[in-house]
Amino acid sequence: MDKSLHLETVIRTHQITKEKQLLEKHIQKKNEVKEALQENFGCNIYSPFNSGSYAKNTAINTKFDFDLVSPFKRNAFGSNGTLKEMYEAVYDFLFDKYKIEAEVKKQKVSIGLEFYPDSVGDRIKIDVVPGREFNQDQYKDDENLNLYVYYKYGNFAADSERIKTNVQMQINNIKDRADKEKDSIRKIIRLLKVWKNTKYNYPTKSFFIELITIKAIDNSDITGKLWDKLKTVLEYIRDHVNNEGFTLKDPGNSSNDLADTLTDNDKQQLANDMKNMLERIEENDENIKTYFPENPKFKEEDKNKNKYGTNGGMPIPPPKLNFGLEK
Amino acid sequence: MSDRVREINTKIESIPDVKLVKPFEQGEFDINGSIFIFIEGLEQPLKFDVSILPQYPFRSHNTETIKFYNEELLEYKHIMGNGSICIHTAHSPMLSEKLDYDIASVKSWIRKYYINKDIDIHYEHLIVPQKPYKDRHYAFFFNEVDYIFTKNQFGFVDYSIINNGIFYIEKITSNILQTYYDRNKKLLTDVKWNFQLKALNKSSGLFIFIKEAPSHNHRWVFNNWDEFAALLPQNFLNFLHTTQESYQKDTGKQLPLFVGYNISETEIHWQVVMLEIGNFPIYGERVNKQWLTFLDGSKAVFWAMTRNCSYKYFFGRGRLNEKITNGKILIIGIGAIGSVVAKTLLRSGCTKIDFIDFDVKEPENVCRSEYNFFSGITNKTDDLINQFCLISPFFEPTIGGYNYSEAFDFLLKSHLTDTTIKSDIEKRLNEYDLVFDCSADNDLLYALSQLNINSTLLNLSISNHAKQLVCASERNRYEFITTQFNGSVLKFDIDDLYNPTGCWSPTFKASYNDINALVQFAIKHINLRFERDKALRNFVIENDDSDCLTFKPKEF
Repeated sequence: MDKSLHLETVIRTHQITKEKQLLEKHIQKKNEVKEALQENFGCNIYSPFNSGSYAKNTAINTKFDFDLVSPFKRNAFGSNGTLKEMYEAVYDFLFDKYKIEAEVKKQKVSIGLEFYPDSVGDRIKIDVVPGREFNQDQYKDDENLNLYVYYKYGNFAADSERIKTNVQMQINNIKDRADKEKDSIRKIIRLLKVWKNTKYNYPTKSFFIELITIKAIDNSDITGKLWDKLKTVLEYIRDHVNNEGFTLKDPGNSSNDLADTLTDNDKQQLANDMKNMLERIEENDENIKTYFPENPKFKEEDKNKNKYGTNGGMPIPPPKLNFGLEK
Repeated sequence: MSDRVREINTKIESIPDVKLVKPFEQGEFDINGSIFIFIEGLEQPLKFDVSILPQYPFRSHNTETIKFYNEELLEYKHIMGNGSICIHTAHSPMLSEKLDYDIASVKSWIRKYYINKDIDIHYEHLIVPQKPYKDRHYAFFFNEVDYIFTKNQFGFVDYSIINNGIFYIEKITSNILQTYYDRNKKLLTDVKWNFQLKALNKSSGLFIFIKEAPSHNHRWVFNNWDEFAALLPQNFLNFLHTTQESYQKDTGKQLPLFVGYNISETEIHWQVVMLEIGNFPIYGERVNKQWLTFLDGSKAVFWAMTRNCSYKYFFGRGRLNEKITNGKILIIGIGAIGSVVAKTLLRSGCTKIDFIDFDVKEPENVCRSEYNFFSGITNKTDDLINQFCLISPFFEPTIGGYNYSEAFDFLLKSHLTDTTIKSDIEKRLNEYDLVFDCSADNDLLYALSQLNINSTLLNLSISNHAKQLVCASERNRYEFITTQFNGSVLKFDIDDLYNPTGCWSPTFKASYNDINALVQFAIKHINLRFERDKALRNFVIENDDSDCLTFKPKEF
């Protein structure tokens, strides 16, 4: 089995463009929310922009949502207005506007809008991330924002109610690198997202995956085919994520360490998962399909498999080989 | 003097701080003698009459076959009613060595309980003589209730017979306590048992909560009614009198009296006295032209056995992690794997277990699953529910049964694209904390993988000859299982299958032992994950019998 070939197929079946309709629905709804925010907050808000995996070109089609960063002016909520007031004002507005058609919930630094399934069962998810410029009218120069932390996650921002960051720099970090590495980074990030999606409630955030992939590539000798490159990243995570002093600096603010978003147990689990994955794939190439499955919705047919007329004989249906219930 | 007697005398004389008072002699059965034992802290040595039984140095019926008696020590802890010290010592087949151990154990008792007067932390039950009442023994099982009794509160109870059995060589009737009523037969509280136990025919009894243990030295239960004199209030004696009058037609029949007392600040224990209607331990006497009821102290008390069967004692010797036992569990497919999983969970403390299986049990299923031959052909769900009610008094099935199982399979497979029905099924499944899919039904596996379920969903199946057990616990369970069984990953014999006579659908070959060994290993692994608060991962357990049998677990 050619593992790299399989991984390329996995990426193809997970291309976001394959979910054209759903993507368009997201874009449409994102624009609608953006306009509503601008209309409501008027001159107190800069133009909201997309900051998630779609903007970074690392999205996969089995699980995607849009992150809409909404930069507010420093005095949008009064000269003494707090970040909490900003967060609550945005929540109140979104709740009033969308409570009938969506579940509106407070999240770590964003307000989640999860629209109820439409007539064909599609669910649109948009996370609105309110941020405030450092000083009045400074945003257009430095793009720095303060985010309000609704609740703490791991050790991250443990002592503070705010996170200072530069979302545009975060986006550029991936985009710039991805272009230079001829798409390897994006592919590996997408594959790790596919892998993460095989688990329930995995604690690593997409941003964490992006940063650790870049760090692994910066610190390793990345050569060979796609599997070789992915394997090097997996080995790097296995060997380093649980080490004392391991850091993942936020390119938008180097004092934010994304490694702190995981607890020690989470890091140990991540290292173990990498170890198990590498061992199982080493034992049998086929196991790669478990960790990196194709999206069944867009599965590509194996042209040589079980076809009438193949080898000139009768087709043999595959037998049932797993048991458990008596007959 | 026999060699054995001589060896005992010689050995005893050689043990430091032990002196022969009366040399050992062979009695009719036992060898008897008396000794002094001295340890530091005693003013004077303690004297013990010693009996050595013929089995010595071996133990018999889990008790030592050497007895050290001193009736003056009755007030101390761990002394039996006949004045013998309760000791448990190490095994030795050598008489001389065993005597060393036993004397050392007596010395240890003297230090701990005679000199230091230690009090054990755990509660020690009263010593209740196990004598039959009339032609049989009676045992009553109770369960803790969510009700606070007050001192001298009394009233009626309901109890039910659960079995008539044999207690060694005598008859015994076992019963469960069902309900407490006040003296006017108004419900006080119900005792929780499984629905089949609750449905049993009920008989009446009485209760009184006296708060203090009916005992001497918190050790020996009262023998005669006069010992109760200070504990039973006058209104209770009057109640006994009126009750006996109202039960006149049942004269001669027994009426159990539950006597409750605290064994800790929060815990109650019940002992049961067997009363005979028409022969209650009371009498009437006219005092100042008024008839009063008095206790007839001369009568002996006939005690029955009681057992506290509340959850913490019933499963006290071992259970799975609380995250499993407290959970609501659904098992889909109760065949060779599912029935073993179900019974293991039940015996390990789980109470809320539902089943889904539309199949019927056939005689040939019995050899490797948890079914009995005796119930013949019947729905698996009904059979297992009946069996589980016999095992655990706390078993609480809520749904399941044949009709539910049929509906579940039909609706899930035929309405997977119907968002309303799909959402309803998701809602129902989300009521469970743990769902075990042991159906080995790959269509169901696929259908379940299309649902949005928050419950922990585990899929268990095995390969032919029980070479491997595959457990899928993650979101990718469909890909995982299909990959493992696609013929290129797990290696096992795919030709040597069992073809049931008259059926062209072959099944796997494996014995109850083969299957159970793997399933128990898997449950232990899952439990460990819960215990250590770690995420569950897909895993495969493979047995390697090329040399010494080993089980190799592989996590994914």
